[in-house]
Amino acid sequence: MTEATGTVPESTREQAPRSLRGLLQALNLDTRLLGMVGALAVIWIGFQILSGLTGPKHDIFSGTFLTPVNLYNLAQQSVSVGIMATGMVLIIVSRNIDLSIGSILGLTGYTMAMVQVIWIPKSLGLGFDQPYTWIIALAIGIALGAAIGAFQGFLVAYGKVPSFIVTLGGLLVWRGLVFEEQQGQTISPLDKTFQLLGGSPTASLGDVASWILGILACAGIIYTLIATRRKRRKYGFPVRPTWANGVLMALGCLAILGFVWIMNSYAWPPGLATQYAHDHGITEPPGGLQIATGIAFPVIILIAVTLVMTYITTRRRFGRYVFAIGGNPDAAELGGINVRRTVMLTFVLIGILAAISGAVQSARLQAAVTSLGTQAELDVIAAAVIGGTSFSGGIGTIPGAVLGAVVMQSLRSGMLLLRVDSPIQDIVVGVVLVSAIAFDTYVRGRSAR
Amino acid sequence: MVNRRLASLAGVAAILFAACSGSSTPAPSAAASAAAPSAAASAAASAAASAAASAAAAGCVVGVSWNNYQEERWAKWDEPAIKAALTAGGATYISNDAKSSAETQANNVDNLISQGAKVIIILAQDGTAIKPSVTKALAAGVPVIAYDRLIEDPKALYLTFDNKLVGKLQAQAVLAAKASGNFAIIKGNKADANADFLRSGMVEAGVPDVGKTDPAGKIVIVGETYTDNWDPANAQKEMEQILTANNNKIDAVISENDGMAGGVIAALKAVGLAGTVPVSGQDGDLPALNRIALGTQTVDVWKDARLLGKAAGDAAVQLCANPDITKVAGTAPFTSPGNNTLTSQLLTPQAITKDNLNVVLDAKWIDKATLCQGVTAGSVAACN
Repeated sequence: MTEATGTVPESTREQAPRSLRGLLQALNLDTRLLGMVGALAVIWIGFQILSGLTGPKHDIFSGTFLTPVNLYNLAQQSVSVGIMATGMVLIIVSRNIDLSIGSILGLTGYTMAMVQVIWIPKSLGLGFDQPYTWIIALAIGIALGAAIGAFQGFLVAYGKVPSFIVTLGGLLVWRGLVFEEQQGQTISPLDKTFQLLGGSPTASLGDVASWILGILACAGIIYTLIATRRKRRKYGFPVRPTWANGVLMALGCLAILGFVWIMNSYAWPPGLATQYAHDHGITEPPGGLQIATGIAFPVIILIAVTLVMTYITTRRRFGRYVFAIGGNPDAAELGGINVRRTVMLTFVLIGILAAISGAVQSARLQAAVTSLGTQAELDVIAAAVIGGTSFSGGIGTIPGAVLGAVVMQSLRSGMLLLRVDSPIQDIVVGVVLVSAIAFDTYVRGRSAR
Repeated sequence: MVNRRLASLAGVAAILFAACSGSSTPAPSAAASAAAPSAAASAAASAAASAAASAAAAGCVVGVSWNNYQEERWAKWDEPAIKAALTAGGATYISNDAKSSAETQANNVDNLISQGAKVIIILAQDGTAIKPSVTKALAAGVPVIAYDRLIEDPKALYLTFDNKLVGKLQAQAVLAAKASGNFAIIKGNKADANADFLRSGMVEAGVPDVGKTDPAGKIVIVGETYTDNWDPANAQKEMEQILTANNNKIDAVISENDGMAGGVIAALKAVGLAGTVPVSGQDGDLPALNRIALGTQTVDVWKDARLLGKAAGDAAVQLCANPDITKVAGTAPFTSPGNNTLTSQLLTPQAITKDNLNVVLDAKWIDKATLCQGVTAGSVAACN
């Protein structure tokens, strides 16, 4: 995430910047990513103002979008699409597509629910809410996701069937299997421990652990920047000026600790706090018990997935291969890369990620329904593309895709907040998607000239 | 190069989709040509049929065209009820399954006629696409019963539960728990006429439309939204945003079905309001009935499929004797969304609350273990 992707011109080394452009050059950040952060800021501020204007007070200061509770919900709502978008980047980068992930999400999510509601407690007669139930369910779901991914990946990579067709078939087949499994019944209630994966104030880290996590992440950024710099210097690569490194560390830490602060400033809703006080025999102080919520569990899952996927794509051979294949498949093949194996693995990866999303989604809903994950593939592809993944292959970043998921979800949640009906929401999201890509293509074309 | 390949694949997919969806739209010319002779033919046929009305019911073969027999409900509840009613009336049951294809269903209806069906019951896959087949059956002197789903043909008997009443019962039960305050309404799919039927029933019960006040002025609709595909996950997000927009000050939620109620209650649970805010639903989903026992859902409007099956069987037996659909017991005129005056029989749904959960138990719709899972002993009468 923090790795420098290009080289810094000699002239800017160790000199104070003279202009904004000079500053950006010295920081050596991905300008596309910066552009997206800017776009996100515009969307957020826009919704904040609009929600204030349409709210009960009709002014621009009383908005509800930039409140801890909404940002807390937004973070949770972005998780499922964000997780899958990280895998979709690799799929699209290697010039494939996966239309089946919504159905894989549905099938794995539904199967995990069957494991914990029917198979373990009833078929095996072991009863509900066993301590091991959630992990067995999750393991079965992930294994199923990996197996489906491997099967589809095999057809694409070794069978040479276009991925569009294979996954279009998958979209229908896996969804059909969801119906077949239990004749379309809703499965609920899920295992109590498993439900924690879905997040809620009671399934969050709390303030102390959130701060510790934030400080650790901050230390991680500082360490990575210093280590990268040392390594690059060792091999004689150009490095950022010292002050630029310092600015990056400060910005990174500020962002992380700011996020933790917002999540912590969302206090448990009064209803939950009262219940908690009652259950633990605490007398509520006047004004109610104040419990900081902290980062929700699913958000931690998304952060972990993002880190792991970023590591795989930028620091492991596998990731380099994927980008090489996307850049030029023939050259990659001639260069000795096992293209077929690599492509198949990208599908295994996205199958696993879809299963994780399935767990988060069903745990969040506290039930498995047959419509679980319907049309998720569209949101995921849109997130990856808004996040800078190019359909012509070879270009894309994991953090960009996650940011893309947040952009998509911000639009949807914001419009819900403004009480925009679902058909209009779809129109807006569609228009935004196409205009974002058109604008991006235009800018890229100009800068290439 | 790759772009072009992708584009061509997309093209192929588009053609495939078009081919699939094309089958659900009837060719207008076929419909028109079939409609013209139908009036004369059916008049002749009904004369012939009434002449044979005195014939024994033994010759009464009733054909049922299922749209998708794979769904649990039809095999488990509807079919046995229809069969039982037919057997009681001395009629014979034949059936086929369209496997969710409107095209297959059109062939299936023809098939039933050639197998000698005297009455046809259709669970329509597509209420518009099936119209030419209905016209054809009527022309052959075979009366048609539109089962559960609307077919916009005035000559077909429309048999369903009263959906407007469902909405009314939902609103009434919620109002009984909370007569005033901030209300949120989670509606179903915008393209589904039922979503609006239900909403108009709520207005009858005293829950005003958005921006309007009820006579007593005590109810404010602070959030109302359609939900794509009746999807519970969407309903959950909608509820979260309504809670955020109103600083959690929500007093009651009217959800149009049980699946969405599940999403709503998950959102309420996250802010500690589940169990204090009344929530409605319909369909008799097993998890929803469990939620009623647990106290997180207030009402589940239950449409017992067996009553519908029995009504259809009884109506079919009567139609064998006399193909005039207006003479079937319990029918009344009904104005459809397409402004046709249909002959219909609307069954009354039943509101299930904590107090009458024994109804679903006695009907063996749900077993006690499923209904009472996680319920504190002694809190619900039906679970004791």
